[in-house]
Amino acid sequence: MQTTELLNSYSVDPGTWDEMYSESERTGGSLSEGRTLDFVRGQYRGVVDFLQQMSIEELNKKEELAKRLFMSQGITFTVYSSGEGIEKIFPFDIIPRIITAAEWKYIEEGIRQRLKALNLFLKDVYSNQFILKDGIVPVEMVYSCPHYLREMHGFHVPHDLYVHIAGIDLIRDNDGTFYILEDNLRTPSGVSYMLENREITKRIFPDLLPGNNVRSVTEYPNILHRNLVSLSPRQTANPTVVVLTPGIYNSAYFEHTTLARLMGVELVEGRDLVIDNHRVFMKTTAGLQQVDVIYRRVDDEFLDPLVFNPDSMLGVAGIMSAYRKGNVAIVNAIGNGVADDKAIYTYVPEMIRYYLNEEPILKNVPTYQLGHADQREHVFANMQKMVIKKTNESGGYGMLMGHSASDEEISRYKMEILRDPRQYIAQPIINLSSAPCYMNGRMKPRRVDLRPYALCGPDGIQIVPGGLTRVALREGSLVVNSSQGGGSKDTWVLAG
Amino acid sequence: MLSRVADSLYWMSRYMERADGILRMLKINYASSQDDIQEFSWKPVLRIFTYLDEDGASKISHNTRAVLQYMVTDRENSNSVLNIITRARENARSVQDHITKELWQCLNEFYHTIRDEKMNRDLQKDDPVSILDVLIKQGLLYFGTMDVTMARGEGYAFINIGKFLERGVQSADILDVRFSDRHYDFSQTDITYWKYLLLSISGYELYLKTYRSGFDARNVVEQTVLNDDFPRSILYSVGRLHIYFERLKSERNQEAFRKIDFMIGRIRSKVRYSTVESIMAQGLHTYLNGIKDDLYEVGNALNQNYFAYT
Repeated sequence: MQTTELLNSYSVDPGTWDEMYSESERTGGSLSEGRTLDFVRGQYRGVVDFLQQMSIEELNKKEELAKRLFMSQGITFTVYSSGEGIEKIFPFDIIPRIITAAEWKYIEEGIRQRLKALNLFLKDVYSNQFILKDGIVPVEMVYSCPHYLREMHGFHVPHDLYVHIAGIDLIRDNDGTFYILEDNLRTPSGVSYMLENREITKRIFPDLLPGNNVRSVTEYPNILHRNLVSLSPRQTANPTVVVLTPGIYNSAYFEHTTLARLMGVELVEGRDLVIDNHRVFMKTTAGLQQVDVIYRRVDDEFLDPLVFNPDSMLGVAGIMSAYRKGNVAIVNAIGNGVADDKAIYTYVPEMIRYYLNEEPILKNVPTYQLGHADQREHVFANMQKMVIKKTNESGGYGMLMGHSASDEEISRYKMEILRDPRQYIAQPIINLSSAPCYMNGRMKPRRVDLRPYALCGPDGIQIVPGGLTRVALREGSLVVNSSQGGGSKDTWVLAG
Repeated sequence: MLSRVADSLYWMSRYMERADGILRMLKINYASSQDDIQEFSWKPVLRIFTYLDEDGASKISHNTRAVLQYMVTDRENSNSVLNIITRARENARSVQDHITKELWQCLNEFYHTIRDEKMNRDLQKDDPVSILDVLIKQGLLYFGTMDVTMARGEGYAFINIGKFLERGVQSADILDVRFSDRHYDFSQTDITYWKYLLLSISGYELYLKTYRSGFDARNVVEQTVLNDDFPRSILYSVGRLHIYFERLKSERNQEAFRKIDFMIGRIRSKVRYSTVESIMAQGLHTYLNGIKDDLYEVGNALNQNYFAYT
């Protein structure tokens, strides 16, 4: 019963919502085994029982096996140093993160509602701009956003769908309330980890999944493929769908190749494509073949050197004109960045009320616009409680966590903010919820977030029951981004 | 199939064939180095398989461990097995959606095995044959996985085209350099010498079964160039190359197909209708070089007509 010790040493940080333990004030060791288990939430009972039947040695072996599986399957990214590539794996924690059926239902409805509104916003902002004319979203907010693309104005995308794939980030506060942290509507990544993490769990914990009533995530590529096919501008039985990748040096390359493989479509790079008479073709061994739908994992600004960044080697010259002529569907639509901009984020609840006449189901984290003098003053007075973010950065770059920053850093940031306030927003630091992680033979609470993946097609919005749980592996850290030392967990959604 | 994908499959396959050839050759030459009365020289091997100049080769040609290290795990030697496998893997990585997951994992594991620091250390002090065997087996796993799991489509054809083109060139190379080492002296009767040449291309047993009268340089040439049952012979390699190329025949790209089909067919006929006597009359070196040039030309034509994408 060594793993009981494992549980006993588990102590939740005060004032934090823990995904496994319901009693956050309790500290380790003081309770009998039976009492300890009483505090484990219902959804985690099965897993805790299972872990208790194992020794630390076995668990270490499982962890080792997981690492080896990632390595041998090439689920790695390459770090280039001193002229040679070193293969690294994204850290994976073997204990799953579990979401109950009720929680999931709530999340699902909230995301569906939000995406509906965001999609309407994109359609509106690139055509009639009612929402600007009615003063709901300030005009200057839109026009000052670098991701707002005039090239998209007045152009109708197929089925009025802008967001086909969204990865919306959720976090939980002290009392367990879910908040939307970010809307990722451009090229959200990580879905291959949702799929692969599940495969790893199947390997390292045989029989655990079927016994716990866990919903399957394997349908994701099939739904995505069906949606992509339905967007084809040509009415043919077998439209050509491709995944466009920046190439093997991209850190998400593994994901691109996984998606292409699972959908059975071609994985192309910019240099494989050519435009002729406003149509997109790929260069094959049997000559040119027309492409109908492109799921691109290349950012807007690199997509077409004739329209955007002229130095881009990753894109295809002329693709924008083929897109505007309606000869090819591009997924996600170009110009979506205006809707997931961190300053526009503040207005999403208003969008929901404006377009849908509904109250937002999922809450926004309170956000201060540093362009507003009043709000800026309030933020400057409370810097230690704030996180400052750049509006057009992602991946945890350009962030300042007020509680851990030095005075010098804070004053330097203030200067930068004053130079261009539109570039920054501030949010009170949310004390992310924690989940148990297996670390060196012990169970430790670490902070997590949740990114479910939503697929929007002509027939509606589908959210595969699961997602990516990112973990801040450093003790006390609130930053989960993989670029900042984060890891991931398999994410279970339980059936009712 | 995308031109870039065909290109990558072809090169993945050429590199894997090359790595296999080098490893087998190293294993046998190592055995030979333990069997030699005079001091064994690795020079012929270094000449075929590395870009070392005369001085560089002389420096290590009598130091077996140094040669093994240089040819297997050296990071600076662009033709070391490690670098060849790395290139094969890079190619495979960019076409993962066109090879089976098993095949990718197999190649990926090969890559991690050979890059392991332990491999380099063991090569310095342990039994080299055991280490080379580990690597050769990793390669066999690749060939077997290919055979068992890959769909017999266009990709499979390009993989085999690469494989047999590489093999044809390699057999011609090994023969040529071995004979040049003996100054094309066909009266040479040093049994050990021919035995190891045949062993290094897995042809020793077949030789014993075919020729009962002992070792004769002419027979060695005959088997290595003209025996259609010998999977490392030039005739066999070119024959396979032809068969797999013909699978690319389609309505589209007919002109290119005809052109290359003609080129390969001509090489095949040239080899098939050679005899040891006709080869000797031309001179072995001239003959082998002719074949190699023809094969390189096929490679260039494939490049222009099937792989061009930039």
